[in-house]
Amino acid sequence: MAPYQPSQTELDRRKIVGINAETVTDVSSTDYPGHYPGEDQSWDKYKFEDNFSVKIYKNEPMESSFSLIGIDAAVANAFRRIMIAEIPSLAIETVFVNNNTSIIQDEVLSARLGLVPFKGSKQGLLEFLKWNDSEGEERNDVDHNTVLLELKIKCTRNEAAAKGETDPLKAYHNAHVYAKDIVFKPYGRQRNYFSGEDVIRPTNPDILIAKLRPGQEIDVEMHAIKGVGSDHAKYSPVATASYRLLPTISILKPILGKDAEKFARCFPKGVIGLETVTKKEAAKKGSGYEGHEGEKKAVVKDAMKDTVSRECLRHEEFEGKVKLGRVRDHFIFSVESVGQWDSDELFLESVKILKGKCEVLKKSLTNMVR
Amino acid sequence: MSREAYQVPTAVPTPGRDSFQTGLSVEGPAINYLCGDCNAKVPLKRGDPIRCKECGHRVLYKERTKRMVQFEAR
Amino acid sequence: MPPKKRVPAAATAQEEDVSMADASPAPAASPELDYDIEIDDQRIRILPGASDTAASFEFKKEDHTLGNALRYIIMKNPDVEFCGYSIPHPSEELMNIRIQTYEGTTAVDALEKGFSDLMDLCDVVSEKFQEERLNFIDQMKA
Repeated sequence: MAPYQPSQTELDRRKIVGINAETVTDVSSTDYPGHYPGEDQSWDKYKFEDNFSVKIYKNEPMESSFSLIGIDAAVANAFRRIMIAEIPSLAIETVFVNNNTSIIQDEVLSARLGLVPFKGSKQGLLEFLKWNDSEGEERNDVDHNTVLLELKIKCTRNEAAAKGETDPLKAYHNAHVYAKDIVFKPYGRQRNYFSGEDVIRPTNPDILIAKLRPGQEIDVEMHAIKGVGSDHAKYSPVATASYRLLPTISILKPILGKDAEKFARCFPKGVIGLETVTKKEAAKKGSGYEGHEGEKKAVVKDAMKDTVSRECLRHEEFEGKVKLGRVRDHFIFSVESVGQWDSDELFLESVKILKGKCEVLKKSLTNMVR
Repeated sequence: MSREAYQVPTAVPTPGRDSFQTGLSVEGPAINYLCGDCNAKVPLKRGDPIRCKECGHRVLYKERTKRMVQFEAR
Repeated sequence: MPPKKRVPAAATAQEEDVSMADASPAPAASPELDYDIEIDDQRIRILPGASDTAASFEFKKEDHTLGNALRYIIMKNPDVEFCGYSIPHPSEELMNIRIQTYEGTTAVDALEKGFSDLMDLCDVVSEKFQEERLNFIDQMKA
């Protein structure tokens, strides 16, 4: 017997998560074999390929936004989690304090330095620099896993400043220590990768690290290594990596006139539009538009912009006229890089890492069974 | 006699503790301190009065160690 | 999940379970994924009480990331009667997957198919994303 094929409307209906004023409905996926009698819900690569689509809205080095349509939350969430916690990036791990007479304590200074994000040659950072696992290697051969940085700064009086100057930045030299004062010290093969434009430097040069007064100084050396976000948040290559489900708004019965304007105000700008009821619509029996020709009616313009505040569900006049929902398999991702990776590469890397995990564990499984 | 019992102070000065009162100073290397008020360097030897030579302030601070100190940046 | 720092081989050997005694040498590292995975280590084990069609697998250094994704893809297999995952304790880096299959296949096979299917899924996602990225660049130029 050939498997039963449900209609498209039925399939569309199954995809919607219902949103009521205080509750949600149909939250879990039902696309498993055995859930709907007679239907074939088994995994099929080609079926998935036909149903799955990607739509990019924004793709800039530091921020991208795109939709994954036709994928399960379990997998979409895996990509999100990998982007946050498992993609390696470079950050300061050890701080060697030679001198620090500033008022900021050594350990606090170290913690702050650790959180400073760095960028540099993509090729050098992503390919040349390796995971720090120098166990059993030549001790001199660390140029591929450790980056040396220095911060040497001393605060002095500015003799050229006007008398009675109260702004510390004008009265003193180096009153503020910024991330841009951190200097990269290349050694070994690092010179081939990180020179000129590609030098390792802070992504945000104006991060304030400490404040100094004349006579105070900071003299530290730092070792930066590659790590992952699951170890410490400073290694996370993303500022945010998040998704939301595409909202749906269905207007079940016409919302007209003043109500339509009020309805539009229940949503962010651009979600609901106002259109005029046409002669044709007004003539149609049972449409609810009879005798309303020329009046304003509310129409859904762009549900994606909705924040699903559910404000429209709080007003009596809209009761039974509107149904809110979300599409269970439409994930609107937003990925914001901290600068070491391009944001679209981050997503591709997360896919690669998930696949890599499977590959290694599959081998491990065969190994175990053998 | 139990060790906790009160001992009447004797006239014999204990070396180190009372030496500056008696003026019996034992020469040692001068250690630099920093005045808590004017931040001047105050080199002190053992037995010297704890007092800034510039402003007379009586709170002095030790200088920071010259050794490198290692920290984890987390 | 990648380890913070790799433990020397001697140290790991001692904490291994008894069942590890017959583990064969690890396969060679693939050059591409050098940072991510510990290859010299057996990371899956079958928990006691397993039969052919029903088994619990213990994964070392895995969490919800792989657990839920794998659970989903294994549940999509029509030969699988039940699949679920759990993280028994939040401070142990262990993830358990329970698989029960109908007669005619084994839990190990179902897990293996799960890995293959998830890899196929990743390929499709990666391809489609790159395709769309090219489209998007063309769109931006136009």
